[in-house]
Amino acid sequence: MNVPEFNLNEAIDHHLDGTLSPEDFTRLQETLLFDPTARALLRQRSQMDATLRDWTLARQSTPLTAWQPSPKPPTPSSWFRRPIQTTLATAAAITLAFVLWPKEYNSPEATSSGVAMLSQTLDAEFAHSPLRSGDTITPRTIKLTKGLTQIEFFSGATALLEGAAELEIISSWEARCLSGRIRVHVPPAAKGFLLHAPGMKLEDLGTEFALNVKDNTSAVHVFEGEVIAHTDRTSSSLKQGMTLGNTTTDFLPITELHDLIAQRQQRRLDAWQDWSNQARTDPRLIAYYTFKHWTDDRWDRLVNNFTEPRNPKHSGGAVGARWTEGRWPGKEALGFKRPGDRVRMSLEGTYSALTLSCWVKVDSVDKKYNSLLLTDGYDNGEPHWQIFQDGSLMFSITYRPGDVPKSAKYNQIYYSKPVFTADSLGRWHHLAVTYDSTSGEVIQYFDAQEVGREISPLHQPARPITFGPCEIGNWGLPTQNHDSPIRNLNGAIDEFAIYQAVLSPTEILQQFEAGKPE
Amino acid sequence: MAHESRLRGFLRTLLPTWEDVDDVLQETSLIAWRKFSQFEPNTHFMAWIGTIARFEALRHSRNKARDRLVFNDDLLDLLADESLTETDLREREHQALRHCLDKLPADQARWLEHAYQPGIKFHEAAQLAGKSVTAFYKILQRLRAILQTCMTKELQHSTP
Repeated sequence: MNVPEFNLNEAIDHHLDGTLSPEDFTRLQETLLFDPTARALLRQRSQMDATLRDWTLARQSTPLTAWQPSPKPPTPSSWFRRPIQTTLATAAAITLAFVLWPKEYNSPEATSSGVAMLSQTLDAEFAHSPLRSGDTITPRTIKLTKGLTQIEFFSGATALLEGAAELEIISSWEARCLSGRIRVHVPPAAKGFLLHAPGMKLEDLGTEFALNVKDNTSAVHVFEGEVIAHTDRTSSSLKQGMTLGNTTTDFLPITELHDLIAQRQQRRLDAWQDWSNQARTDPRLIAYYTFKHWTDDRWDRLVNNFTEPRNPKHSGGAVGARWTEGRWPGKEALGFKRPGDRVRMSLEGTYSALTLSCWVKVDSVDKKYNSLLLTDGYDNGEPHWQIFQDGSLMFSITYRPGDVPKSAKYNQIYYSKPVFTADSLGRWHHLAVTYDSTSGEVIQYFDAQEVGREISPLHQPARPITFGPCEIGNWGLPTQNHDSPIRNLNGAIDEFAIYQAVLSPTEILQQFEAGKPE
Repeated sequence: MAHESRLRGFLRTLLPTWEDVDDVLQETSLIAWRKFSQFEPNTHFMAWIGTIARFEALRHSRNKARDRLVFNDDLLDLLADESLTETDLREREHQALRHCLDKLPADQARWLEHAYQPGIKFHEAAQLAGKSVTAFYKILQRLRAILQTCMTKELQHSTP
């Protein structure tokens, strides 16, 4: 077969070396136009090239002993080969810029060197660092000791890997299977995806194929489309149904994984439902929302309080927030996105302790304060529970002594250590906080791990806790004479419980274990 | 990293050769120098000079487009837009790579010095190194891969 081979990495290097053929230049340009990852790679390699040239120049301007004379001894001025004053102009402009450079420019932009992500796992165990679904993968070797995992390359190619297997992720366009069974699907956008295997290199022309690698020998089978298999001696085209190499085991089937994952999710949902049915009878509950979407609710805004016995007075009403998928298919959640989105409730009573707990998927901590549950206003005994801008959990409650002017800040604020980072955003997490008005102790939990325990110096024993009108996911009706700040949560909530007692760490752990998504 | 180096990297992304980069950089510097009174302090210098460089690169590319391998305007726009949001990442890569180069054994560094000396053509560099073009390319590919891996590692260690 005489299919011209196109490798993005090599094309970029040839381009920078000045040795790219016009045909490959056209292909490179096409790839770059449609693939942001390829453009990012070009920019990175261009900067590498610039750095290497700077470095070479710097080395050559100092005498080298172990260096053979070059026909064109380069000097800094020959680098420019231009009238000296223009070089000075650059230097001057750049020096001035050092003085004028605004400070905020240096604030580092969040970056990622990821080339793929782990989209699904099933009973997967990894040899070195554990990986979870949703993790971004930087170039590295993944050793899967057991189970199944699906890897989605940023180029669009998807690979299903069965343990035990070893896969080296080289880039979003390239990987190397060292051992194990793998199945690859390459959509048209990822045409050209390269999979190396012992004794062969597979160039995918938009297709689905499977590869078995055992004892350093490879066997490949094409289910659909076309693959070019390059070996040391020859390149051959493999079409649908064709197999190259010998294998004693079957090629990896695809349907199984999705069935298994769906079954597991159903099991998790059932287990949570059983726990929830029991937990809602807890007499310590003030309110318990499971965010069940009543499709026959004509207004579509009802957020039922599910405590048993029922207390419909504590039911909530959704404003703006839209129904979305919760922890599992079949479990609903409310999504909070826009500044107006919220769930409004009115909770009666006066209490001496509380526990707030919820399952939340935070998409972004993008405001100074990001609401979980806040009372309207901020009067004595009213709790506020939020995520602070640094990703920490923030619980506060105000008690203003009678002789302190209203304008003075007199609130007990408790921060946890930061828990929402790039790694925990976009996933379901369990949050909880307990407060005892006698001891003044606040304990905060993230996925049932204690992340904060503190008594405020402002604490005065035995002051009552009240809620009254309050909201989940926003703070919309602040005190008078204040502008309404934007504090809506950016994310989704699919379970929220409010107790009039301090739950023990064991009880928090039970909640977490019963409700964790995987 | 000197801003000149950032500009170089930025322009190299847009232009087919280092000679083109030098030409455009010269023009850019002249224009920047002339227009410097228009640059507002407290604004983004790299964005300002980057805009000038980008227009010059575009103009330069159009002049050369007939007989050369030059990216089309759409792609140049995309690359330029995306570049200007990435200068901090480039800076960290530059530092990481310098660190990797410092650790490179002398015999390996020699190949790079052949390949990356100013103004040299690839086949000339190969000849100078006493290698065929293919062999020299293979050596360089191996070195670049080593550097890329090292750089990625460095970045992982340096980022919290």
